[in-house]
Amino acid sequence: MGVELGDIFNRHEIELRDLSGKVVAVDAYNTLYQFLSIIRQRDGTPLKNSRGEVTSHLSGFLYRTTNLIEAGIKPVFVFDGRPPHFKARTLEARHKTRDEAMHRWQEAVVAGEEEEAFVHAQASSHLKEGMVEEAKTLLGYMGLPVVQAPSEGEAQAAHMVLSGDADFAASQDYDSLLFGAPRVVRNLTVTGKRKLPRKNIFIDVNPEIIDLAEGLDANGITREQLIDIGLLVGTDYNPGLKRVGPKTALKLVKQYGGVEAVLAEKGVGIENLQEIKDLFLYPEVTSDYKISWGPLKESDIIDFLCMKHDFSQVRVQGALNRLIEASDAGQQTLDQWF
Amino acid sequence: MFKAIIESEKLKETIEAVSSIVDEAKLNLTPDGLTIRAVDPANVAMVSLTIKSNAFEEFTATDGELGVDLNRLSDIMGMAEKAETVELELDEESHKLVIRMSGLTYKIALLDPASIRKEPKIPQLELPASITLSGNDMKRAVKAAEKVSDHITMGVDGETFYLEAEGDSDRMRLDMLKDQLIGIKSGDAHSLFSLDYLSDMVKSAGKANEVTLELGKDFPVKINFQIAGGSGEVNYLLAPRIESD
Repeated sequence: MGVELGDIFNRHEIELRDLSGKVVAVDAYNTLYQFLSIIRQRDGTPLKNSRGEVTSHLSGFLYRTTNLIEAGIKPVFVFDGRPPHFKARTLEARHKTRDEAMHRWQEAVVAGEEEEAFVHAQASSHLKEGMVEEAKTLLGYMGLPVVQAPSEGEAQAAHMVLSGDADFAASQDYDSLLFGAPRVVRNLTVTGKRKLPRKNIFIDVNPEIIDLAEGLDANGITREQLIDIGLLVGTDYNPGLKRVGPKTALKLVKQYGGVEAVLAEKGVGIENLQEIKDLFLYPEVTSDYKISWGPLKESDIIDFLCMKHDFSQVRVQGALNRLIEASDAGQQTLDQWF
Repeated sequence: MFKAIIESEKLKETIEAVSSIVDEAKLNLTPDGLTIRAVDPANVAMVSLTIKSNAFEEFTATDGELGVDLNRLSDIMGMAEKAETVELELDEESHKLVIRMSGLTYKIALLDPASIRKEPKIPQLELPASITLSGNDMKRAVKAAEKVSDHITMGVDGETFYLEAEGDSDRMRLDMLKDQLIGIKSGDAHSLFSLDYLSDMVKSAGKANEVTLELGKDFPVKINFQIAGGSGEVNYLLAPRIESD
């Protein structure tokens, strides 16, 4: 998902600790998908409660967010609102991919091909109604701020960094940069060991920081031209040109000046071109949000995760203890004296 | 525009007073001097600082704001000798801060002020008790508490200012009677604070001749003192902790 621009941006690898004290606006949908995709058993089966409902996302939001808080990071989760209308086709295509993957996963399980099964299982990750609400409920009990974006969450996160309310936008997608986020952190919630697809090999994944101004400078382009490059490679809103990756797109945009000239030269078009450009430059965002940290509601979390979703009480209590230790529960904030 | 000459010590004090709360800050410039207001990411501690133009040997500024990376600035100020003066000038063209000290010139990139966390409003708090003591005594009290705990209670009992810290096994209590203080206004005051924050704050406050604390019952504490030879003022505000157990 999202536009792939890793090849032209310098990524600075850091440790979670380096973000201590920083407010990070996290793309919550993107994170939720990450959790659904990676938090699985060996044959690809996601975590489930006794009623067979998937709980991988809740596990991720509890344990992985605890890691962030333990490192001193102040996460703010930004949830998507209504998608722009021209995203419909992308969403439809994704549904189809997922349905196919679901089918292949089941075939692979039957055939006993574990590695194959895991890959297809990951691709079959899909968001079920209720997961978003469950995630918001849990984050609320954890005392973490949640922001509802009017439209795209990444645009809202970028807006929050631009207005100084957050220090970083966190997402796996490079779209955050197209939306103008000056500082983006990747791999925030997937830090640790990650399994390579189709191999029984685990690699270390560290967070990495991308600085928009540095990237634009290094490539000698403007943000408008970066959006043009994104359009040529393909975004969430358009498929992109055939056989054009980031490096080729960069070359083309620099050679011809902009996406329109490149398209004219190649004799092809991009549907909704102007609308997509405007979406990145002037996205629908809101300044009507409040970032404040509330108390950790221990018994609510135990009820929700252990009673309702059959999590192990010992493990959840372990995470809660880490949260209490890290979050300094007794500390009041200045908010309440305004 | 902005051009100023100041004793290096005064500038260091100014940076230190703010960098104990935040890493980045917006300097608000007016022809009369500069002000900084900032709140830490956790929204627990706030600093409001004013340096009047007469703290400087020379000061010319039009209304404006500069976004500054305080750690960067502090690092560079480490190059300045104690007695020397430092010249600061905004290079409008490159939008960099030029810092000159005895033959040495730095050009420091400024931050986009819009990218710095919004300046907080200052809450209007009427706090019942007020204690004035020497910065050194304040520093000693905080240091004493750090030996046993990571938080400290400050309160007023009649005309005694007391500080208590309680760790897992050890306790500390320090009583300061009226004659050990510069001044005290009695009132109902008893609040618990994190020593993490207070230790950072007394790095600056500890150097002042007089520090005034304003306290209430489970209320934030105001810590006020002067810097830059009396031409500058620092006001900290720190939210309390709620006593567990």
